[in-house]
Amino acid sequence: MGIVEEAHNVKVLGSGDRVTVLAHGFGTDQSVWKHLVPHLVDDFRVVLFDNMGAGTTNPDYFDFNRYATLEGYAFDLLAILEELRVESCIFVGHSVSAMIGAIACISRPDLFSKIIMMSASPRYLNDVDYYGGFEQEDLDQLFEAMGANYKSWCSGFAPLLVGGDMESVAVQEFSRTLFNMRPDIALSVAQTIFQSDMRQILSLVTVPCHILQSVKDLAVPVVVSEYLHQNLSSESIVEVMTSDGHLPQLSSPDIVIPVLLKHIRYDISTV
Amino acid sequence: MYCSLPLVAYAMAGASSRVHFHDIPDVVLTTIFSLVSKTRTRNAMSLVCLKWLALERSTRKSLTLRGNIRDLFLLPTCFRAVTDLDLSFVSPWGYPFFDSFSNPHLLAQFLRHAFPSVVSLVVYVRNNSISTLHHLAPQWPNLRHVKLVRWHRRLPTAPIGSDLVSLFEHCRTLSSLDVSHFYCWPEDLSLGIQAYPSIAASLSHLNILKHSSTEGFKSRELLAITSSCPNLRKLLATCEFDPRFVGYVGDQTLLAIASNCPHLSLLHLVDTTSESGIRPDLNHEGYTSEDACICHATLGDVFARLPLLEELVLDVCHNVWGTWPALELLNSKCPRLKSLKLGHFHGICRGIVSRPDGIVLCRGLQSLSIKNSADLTDHSLISISRGCHILSKFEILGCKGITATGMRIFTHNLRKTLVDVKISYCKSLDAVSSLQALEPIRDRIERLHIDCVWEENSLKKKYKSSSSTTWTNIQHLSLWIAAGESLAPLSFAGIDDCPALEEIRIKVEGNCRDKARPSTNAFGLRCLTVIPRLSRMMLDCSGVTGYAHTAPAGKTDLSLWERFFLSGIQELKIDELDYWTAQDVDMNRRSLFLPAAALLAQCGSLRKLFIHGTANEHLMMFLVGNPFLRDAQLRLNYYPAPDDDTSTKMRVDSCFRFEEALGSSSRHVPD
Repeated sequence: MGIVEEAHNVKVLGSGDRVTVLAHGFGTDQSVWKHLVPHLVDDFRVVLFDNMGAGTTNPDYFDFNRYATLEGYAFDLLAILEELRVESCIFVGHSVSAMIGAIACISRPDLFSKIIMMSASPRYLNDVDYYGGFEQEDLDQLFEAMGANYKSWCSGFAPLLVGGDMESVAVQEFSRTLFNMRPDIALSVAQTIFQSDMRQILSLVTVPCHILQSVKDLAVPVVVSEYLHQNLSSESIVEVMTSDGHLPQLSSPDIVIPVLLKHIRYDISTV
Repeated sequence: MYCSLPLVAYAMAGASSRVHFHDIPDVVLTTIFSLVSKTRTRNAMSLVCLKWLALERSTRKSLTLRGNIRDLFLLPTCFRAVTDLDLSFVSPWGYPFFDSFSNPHLLAQFLRHAFPSVVSLVVYVRNNSISTLHHLAPQWPNLRHVKLVRWHRRLPTAPIGSDLVSLFEHCRTLSSLDVSHFYCWPEDLSLGIQAYPSIAASLSHLNILKHSSTEGFKSRELLAITSSCPNLRKLLATCEFDPRFVGYVGDQTLLAIASNCPHLSLLHLVDTTSESGIRPDLNHEGYTSEDACICHATLGDVFARLPLLEELVLDVCHNVWGTWPALELLNSKCPRLKSLKLGHFHGICRGIVSRPDGIVLCRGLQSLSIKNSADLTDHSLISISRGCHILSKFEILGCKGITATGMRIFTHNLRKTLVDVKISYCKSLDAVSSLQALEPIRDRIERLHIDCVWEENSLKKKYKSSSSTTWTNIQHLSLWIAAGESLAPLSFAGIDDCPALEEIRIKVEGNCRDKARPSTNAFGLRCLTVIPRLSRMMLDCSGVTGYAHTAPAGKTDLSLWERFFLSGIQELKIDELDYWTAQDVDMNRRSLFLPAAALLAQCGSLRKLFIHGTANEHLMMFLVGNPFLRDAQLRLNYYPAPDDDTSTKMRVDSCFRFEEALGSSSRHVPD
């Protein structure tokens, strides 16, 4: 096993001519796809991996400089594809990983036949004429809690704050998994995510994008998927699912799995 | 048996003031040493001098191997006298034993060299192509007792009976087999037993309870097994008593089992639903919708065929009616009977004071457990206390008709012998009234279980009376409490002073999915700081269900509940903790979250920590800062078994890094 494969706990399952890569969002790991994988292994080679910083990876490998921006994660993704000698894949990215996939496909559009973005958002903080879902005050509370946890952890006290302590339900929804990361990594990742603004790069994407989203996701308002659809320069399609929450592949698999399979199997014109 | 060495020395000194410990003949010293069972004491003894080191090593009979499998070449070779060896806790827990070695045969031989005298073995047998038993069994052909452990799923592709065949092929003197924690199919066992009739015929102890799955043995399987093993003295099995199921166990099966194995001294039959953990509604009448196909007449015949019976458990979980005649026969046909446990047996005693009947006549009983006997009244209970007059252990579960009055007279009548009592989910016995009912034995009782059901009126009354209650001899306390309730009332419920209490077990159960956020921030572990000698705790939250990551808006995550349950643990001076995490049933996930890791890291006195659930590496690393921690392990010993793929369990490398950090020389552990 190569270094990259081992560090990211890469698993390749199933068989088929096409490759599907499943990328999880922050604070979770590849087990979020547990309900989807059995449906894919008969027809696809499925690649699963853990982002650096995920609980199942070695925290010593987390390079704070490399991962200060989402580009660092995109480089990881490309390294994995290279080590596995993948020539073209269907990329399924959940939450922030969808944007990581978008960044990767700008530098190497040849590696991606399409990108499925689930619960994705180019920017979480509200802006003039843009509704991302989060206000600065909400995020202030989040960073205060993460900072407090970090200080406690450094000084040998107990970092006890969790997502459920946040007042804003949107922040609760998004951050509950983040708080389970190591406090220094969690703080860094949270900063990276909320400082990132991917709206500019949308116009550089040339790979077809399937945008999937829960009708009620407190962390990603439905208008965001519409924004993505309008601003991606490649062809795209939006499907809003009747599921609830930011982790619909876990909370409502019976709704989400069929939709995911449909978009994996079929292209935009035939969906 | 714990022998107090200073006491012996004192006794010697008393006899003659010039006698020194080393004047004691070696034979006597050896006997004294072999009576010491506590490992820490033994380790201390072995440091006194070379003679004591040699004596200790030569008398250490049992050993549980801990440490990481990669370090197996560092195996100690000084414990050559060990006869009982437990290999099932080697790290990573549940890892296929020989997978990381290119030469498994050599390693097996090394184990044999280190432990040449093993006759009793416990080993975790994972599915893999290099079968653990295939390599280990030939090393100890004289094995007499084997316990196999496997909580992981049995691979459907594994050949039937392969593990047992490897074992039986090489260990022809096997007389005791325990597969109660071994996930296998009934066919695996049947095939093994049938393929080796000589071993089957010499088996005296067979434990086929099913803790690691929800299935049980069918009637014909039990009959096949018992007819192949006629010399069984101890049989424990899980089976299906519900007559709606194919292969249910009824009258005829019981009769046949007794005929097949007349030498049984221990018969323990449990229904598959017994451990389902679902507490019946307290207001429920107490009768199940289905009756078992067991009638008292046949039961009498069954008992008549088992004259050597000393211990009987029939946890049927389905109604068995009018059992008093059978129990009278039990007494007359099984004179050696000392221990009895009955589940859903109704009519065990009619409670007529002038005419003692049924179970009351079993005067030799030392241990009695009555589960879900719906028509048991206070009168019956009092009659039982007069009849079973030497009871030392008593359990009463789910008996609606018992009140504190009856219970109190019961304990009063048995105050000279009763030391172990369990009262659970009996409608009229809440925590305060249970403790009041036990007042006659407050200074004698050693082991106690009560449910922490707080009844406001009785609590208020107790609080006002505010008399201190000392439980002088209690060593082990077990509590059940519903999720969301607080432990705090315990301090004034009637059990506030326990000078000898060393061990406490708390089981929390309940569905937190729809519960509101816990109102106070702490469950109340802090209130246990008043127990001066508390050193070991088992906190079992495995019955708590909730949302790990997918809580809908407005609902509470399990991480908040975890914080609620564990807050205050840092103030306790415990040195050993077993913690079962709560679970997210939808995801089959039992894992540690940030608050648990953080709070456990603050519990500075911990020496041993066993977490029954998964945890990420960085959370386990919080614990490396605990100054006294020397043994920590994740044990996934629960059902449904952990998934093999795409799970968040600690990776093998993570486990190795954690244990290396824990064991590194830069950590100076004071003792």
